[in-house]
Amino acid sequence: MAGEASARLSAPAYFISVLLLTLAGFGAAMLARPAFGHAVLQWARLEPVPRALPGSFYTARVAPLFQDRCVGCHGETRQKAGLRLDSFAEVMLGSRHGAVVRPGDAKHSELFTRISLPPSDDKAMPPSGKTPLTDDEVTVVRLWIAHGASPATAAIKGAPKLVKPVTIPELDLARAAKQRAPLAAAVQQVQQRLPGVVDYQSRSSAGLEVDASLMGARFGDADLAMLKPLAMQIVQADFSGTSVTDSSASALAAMTGLERLRVANTKISDTTIQALAPLKKLRSLSVTGTKVTGAGLTSLRQKGVAIYADADVH
Amino acid sequence: MSIETANDKTVLVWDLPTRLFHWCVVALVFVSWLSADQGWMTIHLASGLILLALLLFRLGWGLFGSTTARFSNFLHPPRRVLGYLKSLKDGDRLLYAGHNPAGGLMVMAMILVLLGQALTGLFANDGLKFNGPLALLIPSEASDSITSIHRLIFDAILLLIWCHVVAVGFYLLVKRDNLVLPMLTGRKPHSHLPQGVELAFTRLIIALLLFFLSAGIAAWIMIEGASLP
Repeated sequence: MAGEASARLSAPAYFISVLLLTLAGFGAAMLARPAFGHAVLQWARLEPVPRALPGSFYTARVAPLFQDRCVGCHGETRQKAGLRLDSFAEVMLGSRHGAVVRPGDAKHSELFTRISLPPSDDKAMPPSGKTPLTDDEVTVVRLWIAHGASPATAAIKGAPKLVKPVTIPELDLARAAKQRAPLAAAVQQVQQRLPGVVDYQSRSSAGLEVDASLMGARFGDADLAMLKPLAMQIVQADFSGTSVTDSSASALAAMTGLERLRVANTKISDTTIQALAPLKKLRSLSVTGTKVTGAGLTSLRQKGVAIYADADVH
Repeated sequence: MSIETANDKTVLVWDLPTRLFHWCVVALVFVSWLSADQGWMTIHLASGLILLALLLFRLGWGLFGSTTARFSNFLHPPRRVLGYLKSLKDGDRLLYAGHNPAGGLMVMAMILVLLGQALTGLFANDGLKFNGPLALLIPSEASDSITSIHRLIFDAILLLIWCHVVAVGFYLLVKRDNLVLPMLTGRKPHSHLPQGVELAFTRLIIALLLFFLSAGIAAWIMIEGASLP
């Protein structure tokens, strides 16, 4: 019994041993799984949380890609496999299976491996049913990891050029209808009087296009005067080959939204051109086959309006 | 039920089903952790379902099993648990044939937490291709939430295992009472038992029937899950 008593540990000695062993075990786990170790140290504020620089390749190219394609399942609200890709620090901490990025070694980085697998593979990311990353996107990630997965590197040679996404606004017919409403009746009236001459630019636009060229000489100043109520909404007008004269100068000048005007082969002269000077949106003017002179066009040319005139008009 | 009398040296306190349950749970928790860690989800599913079957069995065995396996034998009011812990501190520890009041609390906590883990696992997913057998019955967001709970419960299991091992070490090294050996052999030294204790042991056939019933429930869950679109 004496031997047994001597081998017995006191309770304080036992619990101190347990504490030390637990701490040692915790330390061993931190060493065995560096991601876990970093997470603990960062949580305890014993290690700074790494952040990517604003102008870095990561911030400009990699982070937006993760945001668009990965964060839905690997972000703040969902962390599938314990992985978050919504910040540089989280990316570097990896998943609950360990690091997903090995700086300088894309081939052995789980993140790159997963996104470069064929979509049919069970381990491919994004998973089946979701659009795979493009070749350029995969290359961006590969190059970033291969160049050290740095939070600071500004540019990486050979990286695919950044493609800016083109956002096509949704067709908003209700908005167009609202914009058309004030002049809808007037437009309809002119359309009845001059069939095929006036129409809207598109289904979603309130802007008007006028094309009187098909009427030829039958379209004159009196007809153009009928467009006066619609003047502010006309964006594009073609009076080529009509019998329009300088008498319509004021009617044309009232078209303050006009961007493109064709009055080729008409009887207009510099008088009409001078009247067009206040049109701020005018970008293009066609005056071939008219009496318009180079001097008359000077002020419009100075404003940057593209002029289409006869070769001898300078 | 049959009554077993104590002999001079050791007395049978843990029946075979209780001991098998204990060591199978140890093995299954390890396999479940390893398989989840390595992404071997088929093995994880199998170990989880077997664990569920065992836990259901243990609930039944806690009602109809041998004396030391019964909840009524080892679940005590908090006052008695505190009294037992005080007796440990004072050095005149109270003796129990089966689980002591603190140990009984630990057993119940472990059963409930493991049951929670097995049940949440039925509705969880691994974020890739694997879904628990009943995960498709609920929206994916709910499955994701349950998966988070499944992970949290694992942390609770680790904590309970740590407490369990520390307590066993305490009895072994401080109190010179080996709790591991009896859980292997089923027998405790006579001197470690309270005076005049009488233990009753439920027949093995009852344990087998209970286990088949529990396994049937787990199998039914698996089959139902497999039939989901």
